[in-house]
Amino acid sequence: MTTESVYARKWFGFVAAILGIAAASGILKLLGDPINPTTVALAFLLLILFVATAWGSGPAIVASLFGVVCFNFFFLPPIGTLTISDPRNWIALVAFMITAIVVGQLSARVKRRAEEAESAKREVERLYYELQDSFERSSQAKALKQSERLKSALLDAVTHDLRTPLTSIKASATTLLAELNSNDSSNSELRLGDEGRKEMLQVIDEETDRLDHFVEGLTKLARIDAGELHPQRQWSSVPEIIAAAMKRAERRTRDHRLEIWIDDELPSVRVDEHAIAEVVYTLVDNAAKYSPADTTIRVAAVPGADSTVVITVEDHGPGITAELRERVFDKFFRAMRDGDVRHRKTAGTGMGLAIARGIVEAHDGRIWIEDADEQPGTKFVAQLPVGDDETGPLTISEKRRKAQA
Amino acid sequence: MNEGKQRVLVVDDEPQLTRVLLRSLTTKGYEVRVAGDGEFALQTFHDWPPALVITDLAMPNMDGLELCRRLRQISQVPIIVLSVRGEEKTKVEALDAGADDYVTKPFGMDELLARIRATLRRQPETDAQTNLLSAGDFQIDLNAHLVTHKGNELHLTPKEFDLMVHFLRNAGRVLTHRALLGAVWGGDYTEQNEYLRVFIGQLRKKIESDPSKPRHILTEPWVGYRFHPE
Repeated sequence: MTTESVYARKWFGFVAAILGIAAASGILKLLGDPINPTTVALAFLLLILFVATAWGSGPAIVASLFGVVCFNFFFLPPIGTLTISDPRNWIALVAFMITAIVVGQLSARVKRRAEEAESAKREVERLYYELQDSFERSSQAKALKQSERLKSALLDAVTHDLRTPLTSIKASATTLLAELNSNDSSNSELRLGDEGRKEMLQVIDEETDRLDHFVEGLTKLARIDAGELHPQRQWSSVPEIIAAAMKRAERRTRDHRLEIWIDDELPSVRVDEHAIAEVVYTLVDNAAKYSPADTTIRVAAVPGADSTVVITVEDHGPGITAELRERVFDKFFRAMRDGDVRHRKTAGTGMGLAIARGIVEAHDGRIWIEDADEQPGTKFVAQLPVGDDETGPLTISEKRRKAQA
Repeated sequence: MNEGKQRVLVVDDEPQLTRVLLRSLTTKGYEVRVAGDGEFALQTFHDWPPALVITDLAMPNMDGLELCRRLRQISQVPIIVLSVRGEEKTKVEALDAGADDYVTKPFGMDELLARIRATLRRQPETDAQTNLLSAGDFQIDLNAHLVTHKGNELHLTPKEFDLMVHFLRNAGRVLTHRALLGAVWGGDYTEQNEYLRVFIGQLRKKIESDPSKPRHILTEPWVGYRFHPE
C-alpha cells in the first residue's frame, strides 16, 4: 500500500463517519417520534464500532463526537437544541460519549493489532521462504558437487578395473611377440618353451573373459541407472530359480558346505527368472568368496509378510560391519579394498551387488544385510513381492497338485 | 650376469600379472620371487635380498608408496614402480619416496625389460681418491670443477655444474622436479618448477648436439627428468 492511498483511505474514513451518523440520524428520525434514546444510542454505537474496525481510531472519534452532537440535538429533549433539560439525560449523554469513544478506540486497537499481526505473519512467511530457498540452493550445489566427485571416483575405479586385465594381456602378448621376433634360437635357455607360451596364452584368454565380464556388468549398471531394466515377469518357481543359480555357482562353491532350505508353502512369484537367478548367484558367489573353505553357506526361501517371498543367503565369513552394510551395494565398492575386511585373493568387479540391488528394486523388492543367525557371518536378505495378475499366485503344493491332475 | 642370476622381487596384488612377470623374467635369466603386498615384500626382502624391486602402487595392507619408504630406510636397492595411467600424483610421490623409475600400466614387456636393465646398470663409479665421477660419455672432476663430454671440456655455471653432478650421480634414474630443486637449490625452492626449466634449457644447449631433440636430459612429462649418459 502506498502512502497516498493510506491518506485517501483515512479521509474517506472521516467522511464516511460523518455521513454514517447523519444517515443514521435521518433514518431513526423517519422511524417516528418519539423514539427511545436507548435505541438511538445503541444504533450509534453499532455504527461507531463499524467505523472503528473499518477505518481506525481517528474516524471513530469523529463519529463518536458527531454522534454525541446528533444524539443531543435530535433525540434528547428539548429536541432541536443543544441544551438538555433533564439531568438524567446528561448522564445518558455522557455515558453514551464515553462508551462511544472507548468502544471506538478499543475496536480500532484490535484492528491495528490484527493488522500488525498480519504483517508480522507475512514477514515471517517471507523470511521462511527466503530461508528455504537458500537452503535448497545450497543443498543443490552440494549435491551437484558430490555427484561430480562420485563420478570422478567411479571413473577412476572403472579405469583401474579395465586396465588391470589389459596390463596382464599386454604383458603376455608382448612377451610372446618378443620371442617370435628374436631369431636367437641358439640360446634355448632364454626361450619360453611350450609351457611358457601356453601360460601366456592362458592368461590372455582368462583376462579377456574377465574384461568381457566387466564390460557386461558396466552395461547392466548403465541400464539400471537409466531405468531401462524391464524385468520379463512370468510366474516362476523359486526352487527352480535357486537350483539354476546353485548350478551356475557349482565351481565357486566347491570348497564350501551348502545347505538349501525351501519352505513347503512357498508361493510362485511373478518375476524375471533369469534376473532373480543372477541375484541369487551373485549372493552365493559373494558368500563363497568372503568365507573360508569348509564353512557352510545356507540358502533359504520362505514366505514373507504382505505376500512376499524372502530369499536369504547366509555365510560364516568375517561378517560386514554395520556401517558398511549399505555401502557394499554401491557401485565399485569392495569391502576388501575399500573397507576393513582384511581378506585378499578375491578379485571382484565391485558391480555384482549393485546390479543385484538394481534387479531386486526393479521388481519392487528390497535387499539388505543382517547379522547372520550364527556369528560371525553375513546374511543377505532379498524380499520380493509375489506379484499379481488375474490368476493369482499358487503355492507350490497347489501347483504340484495341479500338475498331478 | 657375472655373479650368477640377478634376483628380482616382483610385488603386485594382481595374480595374473605376477604370473606373467614371473614366467617372462625367469626366461630372461632373472631369479624371480613374487609378493602380493608390501608387508610380505618386506619379509621376502629380508630373507632373500634382491638386486631389484618392481612394485605396484595400489595394494592392500601396505601400498607401494609405503613400501618404497620402508625399503629406503634399510637399503639402496633399485626400485621400479608400476602404476596405472592416471596415478601421476602417486607416481611422483613414489619417486620422491625413493623409487628409481616407473613404468606405466599397461606396458610392453620390452619396455619393462629395458628399464630393468638400465636400472641395474646404473650405479656410477666414483673414484674416492681422485674424486672423479663418470657415467657413459660424461666425466666430472669434482676437485677441479671440470666437466667433460667425450673428452671435450664443457663450460658450466656453478648451478649448472651442481645440476650435472646430480644427474651423473643418478644416471638413468627418473628425478622428480622436487628432488632436483631440493638437491641443487635447497628445500625452499622445491615448488619453483620454472627455475628448473630455465636451467635445464641452458644445460641442454651446452651438452646436447640438438637441444630440441635431447638425448641426454630427457623430459618425463609431469614428473621430472631422466639423465642418459650415453
